Amino acid sequence: MDIFLQQLINSLSVASVTILIGMGITLIFGLAGIVNFAHGEFLMVGGMVTWLLVMAGVNFFIAMFGAMAAVGVLGYVAERTLFRFTLNRPMNGFIMSIGLSVILQNVVIKALNEVQKSIPDPIAKVWVIGGVDIIAMRAIVVAITVVVVAITYFGITRSRYGVALRASVSDQDTAALMGIPVRRYVTGVFIYGSVLAGLGGALMIALFPITPFTGSVVIIRGFAVSLIGGLGNVGGAVVGGLVLGLVDALSAQYGYPQWTDAYSLVVMIVILILRPQGLLGGTLGPRAT
Amino acid sequence: MSADQRRDAVTAPGFSLNTRKTGSSGWLERPPLDHIVMGVAILAFLIAFPFFNPGYRFLSLAITTGFTAIALYGLALQFGQAGIMSVGHAGIMGIGGYTAAILANQLGIGFWLALPASILLSALAAGLVGLPSLRVGGQHYIIITFCFCALLVIALTNGGDFTGAATGLDVGPIAGPFGINLAKLRNMYYLVMLALVVSLVLTYVIVHSPYGRTLWAIRENEPLARAVGINTNFHKIGVFALSGAFAGAAGILQTYYLRHISPPLYGAFPSLYLALMVMLGGARPLYGPLLGAIIVTFLPEVGGLDPIDSRIAYGVGLLLVILLLPAGVSGGLLGLYRSMIGRQRRAEKG
Repeated sequence: MDIFLQQLINSLSVASVTILIGMGITLIFGLAGIVNFAHGEFLMVGGMVTWLLVMAGVNFFIAMFGAMAAVGVLGYVAERTLFRFTLNRPMNGFIMSIGLSVILQNVVIKALNEVQKSIPDPIAKVWVIGGVDIIAMRAIVVAITVVVVAITYFGITRSRYGVALRASVSDQDTAALMGIPVRRYVTGVFIYGSVLAGLGGALMIALFPITPFTGSVVIIRGFAVSLIGGLGNVGGAVVGGLVLGLVDALSAQYGYPQWTDAYSLVVMIVILILRPQGLLGGTLGPRAT
Repeated sequence: MSADQRRDAVTAPGFSLNTRKTGSSGWLERPPLDHIVMGVAILAFLIAFPFFNPGYRFLSLAITTGFTAIALYGLALQFGQAGIMSVGHAGIMGIGGYTAAILANQLGIGFWLALPASILLSALAAGLVGLPSLRVGGQHYIIITFCFCALLVIALTNGGDFTGAATGLDVGPIAGPFGINLAKLRNMYYLVMLALVVSLVLTYVIVHSPYGRTLWAIRENEPLARAVGINTNFHKIGVFALSGAFAGAAGILQTYYLRHISPPLYGAFPSLYLALMVMLGGARPLYGPLLGAIIVTFLPEVGGLDPIDSRIAYGVGLLLVILLLPAGVSGGLLGLYRSMIGRQRRAEKG
């Protein structure tokens, strides 16, 4: 039982990173109508920026904000120079984002190298609660994720901006007539999702070493999470991330560990086929117009 | 996904071979003269290429181009004609390649007997992978195919001795008929080119046959096609199977050319590169996929780029093509050619 609990808490911290990336994808895909396959690379870049800053002697938590800012700028540039022109043809945007992910991955390999990077534990403490060892950094990762999820959820469902955003998703023309700057909202959502990817990257490198190839592994999990939950649905992304995290933890402990990655892929294919709108329902993805 | 969007998604209309006169009768129209001239020129070049003394490196690049282009013709059929993109095509190639390698290792069956088995199994697998596309479209389906590829790699890696696990499998050389030594690179080149020409001709025939017209109808307006009595689901799966057959042939040729295969050859990234090549070359013009394969295979060699630089170059090329030439490089060239001819004709008329 102790092992189970420990495994559960560990998988919760892994699920946190997955939730962050899934939330970014779900917002960008479901609300901005852009399928960004390079999102995993955004996360990887965030991790690499964190690594560079920490190696330069910056405190981890400051480096985290640095990574968020850097990836936010990256997202802004990508939206302005690339995705802006394919808003009416989501399919072309998707293919373009594949190109972008290839570019980012190889630029990072060229600028740094292919070797995996890791940073020393920002907080190397272990808390013992009721006989269960909890690694402090993992708990902090979970806490940060909880806060970010709460901010995003209330921002989208309760705030003025969230309401305006959802209005422009459900009816672009009417929203524009009501004075909502729809295009600016698209850019805004894209930047916000990218910032989340930067945060995810920073938290990820605090937990495990990452390589330039991490992005391509993470992206599939991110898509799985966002599609399982339903596009544009923040709560859905959390549920999706927890489901995947649990499946991983349990299969690593009780199943065949070498098939761990396969389970989440199978779960994703099955859900995509049976419920394309996601478990909790969401928008139908990029608009057809 | 509306029919309108689907047409947008593929290419700008007007550059395709499908812009034929409507109401033509007969099973297969006679190809126009410029098609025949172009075909003969390409055939002559393919036959003559080894006599220019291209050297070992260029000849092997040409072989790589050959079997890649065969797979691309399959993908182009599915994407350009039926309008369904997938990023799982390398996985289908892998089914063909592994079928051949497993037959060779377990039962000692050689290339010629394994060829139909590879093609059949790949077609079957492609049809199965295509099934979800009847229910989910667009990006959702692309993600499913991506997952399929990733799953296949995991399965091949965990397959133990049967699939050779992470190290993969080896195969012997092809036993050539009439004492032709196919281990010799030049003879291998001719075999691959023969297969390439066959798939080019097949693509032409499929696109211009009543079947091609049916696919065209489905792509342009699926509800209408269904309303006039076309079984759209059946034809969609059919085109997947056809495209899979091309991939299977490409896979077995690749296996016997490399003589050693391993799971990473068939993962998600090789699939992405195949999709990239089709987009780069253009899916609908007849020589688009061939052009895409040539550009991607020869660019690093001609430009003197290392693998990382050339991957960055592909990525940038893809972005430029999508933003500037949505019909691909060959579509762009074709448009240029047509506008020149048009100008000439206008000038003649005065």
